[in-house]
Amino acid sequence: MESSNTFFSFLLENLQQFMSYTSFANITWGHMAMICVGLAFIYLAIAKEYEPMLLVPIGFGIIIGNVPFFPGLQVGIYEQGSVMSYLYFGVSQGIYPPLIFLGIGAMTDFSALISNPKLLLIGAAAQLGIFGAYMVSLQLGFSPEEAGAIGIIGGADGPTAIFLSSKLAPNLMGAIAIAAYSYMALVPVIQPPIMKLLTTKKERLIRMKPPRQVSKLEKILFPIMGLLLTTFIVPSGMPLLGMLFFGNLLRESTVTKRLADTAKGPLIDIVTILIGVTVGASTQATTFLTTQSVMIFGLGAASFVVATFGGVMFVKIFNIFLKEGNKINPLIGNAGVSAVPDSARVSQVVGLEYDKTNHLLMHAMGPNVAGVIGSAVAAGILLSFLA
Amino acid sequence: MRMIVKRIALTVGFIIAGLIVSAQSAKDLRINEVLIKNTLNYEDNYGERSAWIEIFNSAYNKVNIGGCYLTDDISNPTKYRIPKNDPGTSIPTRYFVIFWADGKTTHGTFHLNFVLDSTSRVVALFEQDGKTLIDSVSLPDSKANISYARKEDGTGTWQEMVKTTPEATNTTIDEVSPGQKFAKADPFGIGMAMVAMSVVFIALILLYIFFKQFGLFNVRKQKEKIEAIAALEGKTIVHEEISGEVFAAISTALYLHETEQHDYESAILTINRAAKNYSPWSSKIYGLRQTPQKESLNTKLKR
Repeated sequence: MESSNTFFSFLLENLQQFMSYTSFANITWGHMAMICVGLAFIYLAIAKEYEPMLLVPIGFGIIIGNVPFFPGLQVGIYEQGSVMSYLYFGVSQGIYPPLIFLGIGAMTDFSALISNPKLLLIGAAAQLGIFGAYMVSLQLGFSPEEAGAIGIIGGADGPTAIFLSSKLAPNLMGAIAIAAYSYMALVPVIQPPIMKLLTTKKERLIRMKPPRQVSKLEKILFPIMGLLLTTFIVPSGMPLLGMLFFGNLLRESTVTKRLADTAKGPLIDIVTILIGVTVGASTQATTFLTTQSVMIFGLGAASFVVATFGGVMFVKIFNIFLKEGNKINPLIGNAGVSAVPDSARVSQVVGLEYDKTNHLLMHAMGPNVAGVIGSAVAAGILLSFLA
Repeated sequence: MRMIVKRIALTVGFIIAGLIVSAQSAKDLRINEVLIKNTLNYEDNYGERSAWIEIFNSAYNKVNIGGCYLTDDISNPTKYRIPKNDPGTSIPTRYFVIFWADGKTTHGTFHLNFVLDSTSRVVALFEQDGKTLIDSVSLPDSKANISYARKEDGTGTWQEMVKTTPEATNTTIDEVSPGQKFAKADPFGIGMAMVAMSVVFIALILLYIFFKQFGLFNVRKQKEKIEAIAALEGKTIVHEEISGEVFAAISTALYLHETEQHDYESAILTINRAAKNYSPWSSKIYGLRQTPQKESLNTKLKR
């Protein structure tokens, strides 16, 4: 009888301990709120098809990261030795973003840019959002490093945002990455009103010359010269720019098809899964739900607006100096923010609203890919000044 | 003509030689840190602790300190001549060397013939002529294992340092971060925005200029080629502008083709050349094992 009593008390004690380990015992309002955010991301991705490749892994990652647990069991992403912490190592040390850039390089056709290289300048002008957000963040009391990391959201480039924030402000990386990817998904909502506000009907109807055919030599030279000219000026942008142009050379050389296929296929898919899930999981309610995160979201939205403004206004000013027939439709200015290819798609959609036969997509791809180069250069500058 | 080329080559040679000589100037050397009472600090290669003097090369090129003089007495500038032929005296860009003031010159080039102690009041570095002063420092009363160092390498004011940094930068991690320094000089971020935007523009303008010029050259070459072919065949070239719709139609067709959504016309037979890229990884010739050969009875008999 006594032994059964001991057994039951032992069982009860273990059951109580087990209960204290369950998520029900550790859940907070913050966890529940974050799980709802994760579910919203998944809904947007599946039902609305907003950036599903990113929002599904991130959304699910948010849920994983916010399943409450008893600390010390080596399961959390911030717990040393946990599996999630090993996967997160690629994010915290900036390993995944260059690999993503390798894939982007292997996917990207720079022909539109090579055939009309003046579109490169739009990609530079649209980086205004980065530095606008940097200035405002400084005034809001963020440290210079944090301000630089927040500013890069305006580059509308997820891997670049993760890369820079992992170097400058690892504590804010979750919020910055989520903000960057969220706004990239919301590009079709954010950009059109600004584009319409800043342009006249006459400007929206500008027809651009079709791009010329680009030779193979030009396509091969582009990644080589692009790498040399940009990284000689900003060597700190090497991890991103080097991999971007390397991936593009794999594609354009046509003799490394298998490598290019791997870079733009399985490799980028694997890294996207890892980066998405771990960035999502890094948003644990305990570290994520702060006023700083709310401010970062606000600043991120503002930086997207400023970046779009910069791109569109630059084209308008640039047009003053261009001859009739060579003018650029300012509706492609928004594409300079990168967010490939969504912002170029926005140019196409808005352009078609005013002229059903004016296809701007291929023209918009020029500033779009220039924006990728521009934001990587800008990240390199911030890194060299602030790190 | 040959004479002119020779003269130009000579002039260029002299200029380059001059630049190299001036780049090697010992004037860029600075006394960077001095420790007098060394009881627990840095050890030399003989495992001995003694006073040390750190010299910093503030230039962005190598500088050879060989032939210069170190002294603890300004009235005797040529007290210790640093040997010239030791490769170790060539100090790399923004790097440091340590001299041991232990009076044991038999221990090597970097061991001085004088000893620094509590009575020492100065350390000075003179040029190879033994007259021109490069740098000097007046030493305060020193405490054991606390060095006297510049706040910033080569330029800063002197201060006592508890955390000594022999053969390393004096700017320790406890100092202000580069970001904070930047924000102090540029609290509103306007300078950063202007500089960074300019750099982004410069990088992309350079790309623009290169591909604009290369594109023009390419177009001209293509045009010449087409004109030459047309002239040979006696045809006239008609420049026709292709509309956006045509491009859109071609793009759509290509997309459908690439995603294999075009093959519903079953009557059309499409023959694609199946090209298999050769790779030594998949080649049997380079296989690790030879395929076993069946030996016929005749072969065995022949053996």
